[in-house]
Amino acid sequence: MKRNLIVISSLLLGSLYAGTANAQQSGLAPDQNPRYKESQEKYFKSADSLISQHGTTIQNTYKAYDWYEAKLERRRQNREWRHEERMNGYYDYPYLSIGADFSPFGRYGGYNYGNYYGGRNSFWFGW
Amino acid sequence: MRLNKLLTVTAFAASGILISSCSRQVTRVSTDQTIDISGSWNNSDSRMVADELTKNILNANWITSHQDDQQGKKPVVIVGFVQNKSHEHIDAETFVKDIESAFVQTQRVRLVQGGKKREELRAEKADQQTNASNSTIKKFGLENGADYILQGSINSIVDAHKRQKVVYYQVNLELTNIQTNEVVWIGEKKIAKYVKN
Repeated sequence: MKRNLIVISSLLLGSLYAGTANAQQSGLAPDQNPRYKESQEKYFKSADSLISQHGTTIQNTYKAYDWYEAKLERRRQNREWRHEERMNGYYDYPYLSIGADFSPFGRYGGYNYGNYYGGRNSFWFGW
Repeated sequence: MRLNKLLTVTAFAASGILISSCSRQVTRVSTDQTIDISGSWNNSDSRMVADELTKNILNANWITSHQDDQQGKKPVVIVGFVQNKSHEHIDAETFVKDIESAFVQTQRVRLVQGGKKREELRAEKADQQTNASNSTIKKFGLENGADYILQGSINSIVDAHKRQKVVYYQVNLELTNIQTNEVVWIGEKKIAKYVKN
């Protein structure tokens, strides 16, 4: 009788232990990595900022070289530069223009065509 | 007197013609019509991408595979990021919306909100907790979790010399199983354009 009681109680304790162990394991799905919580905690912290832009387009564009576009851009810049030069009064002093008489651009009524033709540092192209 | 009247009418007519000839003209055109002006990405490209990818994604076998695995349940999809890595500003929403719309209209795929719109929904739910009547409060924690995420990228290659240019666009969309990270569908649309200035 005493022996039977010991066997029954040990069986009960064993089943209780097995049940507890099983409950602890039940948080894991079949084949789930037991260290999944490390990753979960990492992404819990950053999830909001990572997914707040969902459904949008991330613009990560680059500038492609286009010969024609580059040419137009160069022209635009040159035009702007010449305009600035004119506005600053650069080359507006005819007496500084040595050799103006020999320049093909020197007889255009005093207008600074030299700049227009890109003769930035040449006295020949001044006035 | 008569001459004066004639002159006035002529002057008015002439000024009317002058004004109308200088004013900007705007004409409504069909959205299906292809009008190429600069050679850049335009609505026709977006439409072509949408048509191709919508057809592909709805006819691919990932839907039936999902339903076989999940006792006939429809797949739930969320739209993630689309990365534009091309040389132009392109908003993918123009064609992604068409795909989303096809999901909803065909009712083969269920769609859940993400990003800012989902934030707004949750904020509304939060507001209801204190302002809505008990019978109409929407509870937290009952959202549909997505099975798949739709992500994509846009890439381009430009080959230009003097006045000629060839631009190649490649738009890729991919659908990934969120649980397993398995890519279940990839769709692509390639567009090449020859531009002569």
